[in-house]
Parts: sequence; C-alpha cells; structure tokens
Amino acid sequence: MSTAAPSLMPRTGPAVTTLPFWSAVRTVFVLETRQRLRGKGWYWMLGIWFVVIGFVFVLTSAYSDNTPNEGGMLFDLVVGFVLGFGLLVAPGLSANAVNGDRAGGTLAILQVTLLTPGQLLMGKWLASWVGSLAFLVLSTPFIFWALALGGVGGAVASVSLLMLAVQLGVVCALGVAVSAIAGRPLFSIVTTYMLVALLTVGTVIVFALSAALVTEQRSITTSSYNPPESALREDGTLDETVEWECYTQTYVTDVAHTEYIAWVLAANPFVVVADAVPYTYEEPEEAPPVQGFAYTGGTYYAPGVMEGVSQLVRQSQAGPDLEVTCEEALQGMRPLQQETPIWPLGLGLQVLLAVALLLLARRRLTMPAMRLPQGTRIA
Amino acid sequence: MTDSFGGIVVEGLARSFGPVQAIRTIDFQAPPGEVTALIGSNGSGKTTLMLILASLLAPDSGTVRVAGFDPVVHPAEVRRRVGWMPDTLGTWESLTASEVLRTVGALYGMSPADRSRRADELLRTVNLTEFGRQAARVLSRGQQQRLSLARALIHDPEVLLLDEPASGLDPGSRLELRTLLRSLAAAGKTVVVSSHVLSELDEIADRAVFVSRGHSVKTQTLDEAGSQLRRYYVQAQPMSALADTLRSQEIRFETRGDSRREEFLVQLGSTAEASWLLRTLVLAGVVVTAFAPAGGALEETYMSLDTDRL
Repeated sequence: MSTAAPSLMPRTGPAVTTLPFWSAVRTVFVLETRQRLRGKGWYWMLGIWFVVIGFVFVLTSAYSDNTPNEGGMLFDLVVGFVLGFGLLVAPGLSANAVNGDRAGGTLAILQVTLLTPGQLLMGKWLASWVGSLAFLVLSTPFIFWALALGGVGGAVASVSLLMLAVQLGVVCALGVAVSAIAGRPLFSIVTTYMLVALLTVGTVIVFALSAALVTEQRSITTSSYNPPESALREDGTLDETVEWECYTQTYVTDVAHTEYIAWVLAANPFVVVADAVPYTYEEPEEAPPVQGFAYTGGTYYAPGVMEGVSQLVRQSQAGPDLEVTCEEALQGMRPLQQETPIWPLGLGLQVLLAVALLLLARRRLTMPAMRLPQGTRIA
Repeated sequence: MTDSFGGIVVEGLARSFGPVQAIRTIDFQAPPGEVTALIGSNGSGKTTLMLILASLLAPDSGTVRVAGFDPVVHPAEVRRRVGWMPDTLGTWESLTASEVLRTVGALYGMSPADRSRRADELLRTVNLTEFGRQAARVLSRGQQQRLSLARALIHDPEVLLLDEPASGLDPGSRLELRTLLRSLAAAGKTVVVSSHVLSELDEIADRAVFVSRGHSVKTQTLDEAGSQLRRYYVQAQPMSALADTLRSQEIRFETRGDSRREEFLVQLGSTAEASWLLRTLVLAGVVVTAFAPAGGALEETYMSLDTDRL
C-alpha cells in the first residue's frame, strides 16, 4: 500500500444505482464460465461422458449391424442416452451455483454490489445451461454418425436436439433455484436429483399407481385370424389348403382407461422430447392378401427407444381398444399417429415448476434479509 | 430521507436470529472524515452490525442511515456508496487479482476503461501489482486480505466498512493499511474499522464505539481516551528502590503478573500526573529504566468496561 494513495482521486464512473439487465447477466455469466473453464472438474466430466457414450454407441452399432433402420435406431439411442445422462449431469453443474458461492464466501460480495437477485440467477442459470450444452455438443460425433447411416429425417434430428437442449435448460433452472433456496450444496444437489427423479421416474410410478383408479370391468371384443379346426389333421399337422377364418371373442375383463391419466406422464423429460419429435412413418405396401399362413401378422415396425416412448404415450392417450376387428388385427402393429400433442403440457408444467422455484430463490436472495435459512451465515 | 450528516447514524438498533439476540440496542455514529473503531469481544454483535450497514441484513427495529440512506428502503443507493470488506476471506480462486477487481467494478456499473484503470491503481495501492495476472488462489492470507480491501475500494465508496482488516497482515502491511485509512479519512470518507487489535486502532481511529453483548456500551473519542485513568508500568534498577519511593509517595502499585520482566503497575489519572511521577522518581534518585502506558488508550477503556470477557 503505497502512500501515493491514488484512491483519493475523484469519483470514477457514472453514479448509477441500477445495472443494465443483460450487461449484469453477462458479467455473472463470464464470471461463472471463466471459473468453470479454469477448473478441472468439468473437463473430467466431459471426458468420462465422451468415453461412456462412445462405448455404448460403438457396442450398439456393432450389434445392430444388419437390422433395418439402423441409423434411426442408433440416433434414437443417442438421444435417449444423452437425455438420460444429461439429466444426471445438469444438476451437478447447476445445483451448487448459489450456495456454493455462499460457502466460498463470494456470494455476499456479489450481493453488496448493484447486482440484483434476478440478474444473478439469470447469469448463473445461463452459465450452467451452456456448461451442460457442452455435453450435447460433445455427443455430436455420434449423432452425425447415426445420421450418416440414414433413415432419420432432418425434422426429427433437429427437433430431437432442440428438445434435448430445452430439457437440460429446465433441469439447470431447477438446480440453480434449489441451490439458492437450500443452505448447503450437498442438500441442494440431492434435492435437484430428487426433482429430476420425480419427473422421470415419479411420473411413471404415479401413472402406474393411478391406473387402478381408472380401471373398470368392460366387455372387450378381440378378433384374430386363426386356422379353423377343420384344418387340423388327425396327426396334429395343419392342412395348408384350408383358409384361415376370422375368430371373434368377447369377454369381460379389467380395462384401464389410461386416456384419463395420460397427462400425468406429460412432465416426464423423455415424454416431452419423444412427443415433440415428428417421427415419420412410411406406410408399408399393402399387406399381402390372406392366403393360408403366408400371412403371419402385420408389417414389421420396430421403433427406437425414444420413438417407443412416444408410442407408449400415444397408446395410453388413446386408451384401451374395446373392439379389435379382424381388419385391425391384420394390419398388425402400426404406429399410432399423434392425436393431441402432450409435450406442450409437459413443458408447461416443467417451466411452471422452475419459475415458481426461481421466484422463491429470488426472494431468498433479496437483501437486506429479514430471516436467514437455518444454519447459514451471510458472510 | 437524506441528511446532511452523511456518514453513518444508527439508533436503537436490534436484531435477533431466532432465539439468539445478536444486537439488543446499538447506537452508533460514524462521521465522515474520521476513522471510527468498532470494538467488542467475539460474538458481541460487531459483524452483525457491519452486515446491517452493508445492506445485507435487515434490522428488527431501530433506524439506520448510511450516507444518508436507509439500507432497507434504498439498498441500491447504499450499495453504491459503501465499500464492504467482510471478515471472511472469500474470493474467486481461479480468477486473477485484476479480474476480481474488474468483475466487481463491472457490477458497480463502471465502464470497462474505468474499471481496468481503477483496478491497476488499487493493485498498486495494495502492493499486489505483481500478482495482477496470477490466480487468486496463489495469494497468501495477507495478500488476499489486501485484495479484499482493494475490492472494497473499487467503486471509490464514500463509506468504508472494514471487518477485521488487519488480521493476517504482516507489520509492514499494517503500517500501510494505517496510512491508507488515514488518507481515506482525510479525503472525507467515513471509515469504520472493527478489530481486536486494540493497539492498532489506537493509532488509526479518531473515535471508538464499544459493543458488548449486543449493546453499545460506550462511545469515546481518542482524545477522551487519552485523558482517562490509565495504568503505567515502571521498571527501575533496582526494583526495591522504586518500591520504597512509591510507598513514600503513597502511590499504590502492583507487580505485573503477565510479563516476563519484573515491573510495577501504577494507576494514574492523567498524563500530567504521569510526568509528575516520573520527575519525582528521577529526583529521588531511582534509576528508572522504563516508564510507559501499560496498554493503548482503547485497551484501557476495553478492560475497564470489563463486561463479558471470559
């Protein structure tokens, strides 16, 4: 501290009491990102991510070498995998954003500046989102690989990636908000994982449990083509010349009206992504005429992971089919077309949850504080 | 809303954390152009008061004016004018010292040119220029403390709140801190310093506020502190001659127990009385080898309050 004391010079800078919103957000963003880029943890996570996803991808592509629609299957797998792992990584990147600073003694330093809680949260959220998007970017080699194999439309690919990015953003928002509300990093990380689990697993469990509530006894009619009894020879073999007949049976059984509870699944991240993607389905050539057992039941349709999720949701939206005609049975397994998209509802619910938590977080960060969370110090 | 006094005015302040009454009643004034010391034992409410002044904590009751503004009603006005150096060392470890200062400068709304110029100046002021390009984690405790001080000064605040600024500083840095704080006060800033190092404050502070168990128990200026009853320690060769003379003058003395050397402690009412005693001793032929105040003026007050030390 030299005695020249230049700190006595006249006031520098304009006398402002508010910062331009985005410039303050950018300052926080740069501060966070700089620290992330200079730390080692993030690079390690990226490295492990790349190795794991590469391993799974190569292994799967080796096994599915001769399956039809290999590109589509692999692309779907990568999307599902990136989403699943992204849901694990994003809380790690976001859920100690605020209380980690509190523990490190740097939060109060930000709070005595002109920075507002909203700007702080926005900056931290964007920083953790961009940090987790790096994982998505790192998966692009595999995505392009799958795309190169063909069978995936441009719309499917771009919507899948966009929705992945949105889901990571939602989880980061949850993490940042929880980290401002909860006192300790460990607690907030666990809480964020619980929220993510609530969305991914919880929705499915609630869906399954509440199926009992919408189950009732209904008589259902199913039909199928079977060889008639007359085709059965005495030695137990089938007479191939006898035409198969349409058999219909009606019986009373428990039927779950899943159409009433399908919305429960909406907020599931996998459902949001899968439901938003406009999977294309090529209408197969007309099913061959029924002749003997030349026909073995429907055309082949094998959806990938995410497309399968999308189909399951559409099935539950459609509810039980109380009457299956022989014509329907003939067509075999056909993908259901989207009737009502469910993902806007799901994304809406997620955003609502995130915004509610962020508002709570903003209140918690507004200083001067009236009450402090148990066991925390400001500085 | 504003008043012409500026500085800090606190009246009837109270603040509790659940069942813990951190501040019961504190009255406190820190005028501009002076260094005000905030003195009290651990847990006496010093840091809580600092947090309230820095607009981080709302009081339960009482009025607070910092640079003329109520921190609860106009936090941004207060923040713009206040530089706060916390007692905990928190810094972004991977950022360089210069980046730390420029980031905080940006958050006070300074232009890029302003904040880098100011950052360079302050790094020079706190002798950290050579560390400007190094990550803050390589800084020693004392260097971090100096960086923290520079950070508090980045926006050239009118009011400076320093919580234990001298802890961790080497003697040279302490001396420089003293010079810096005096020059800030001379420039009309309001400077509040809390510290345990009372001898340190003796030389920096113009006035002192003593807090104990959440009460402000005494406010005095250093001039007042200098004219109060004070203890002096006296050494002579041999001590027996000194003892005889003190007895003949009917001056009560005690043997100081907390020192390595043998010395007597006498209580004297003023500096005049002290010079009278010294002259008397010398004239009586006592070979006086040491004659000095036993502690700083503030230490005397602190000890005389004797309220809540263990």
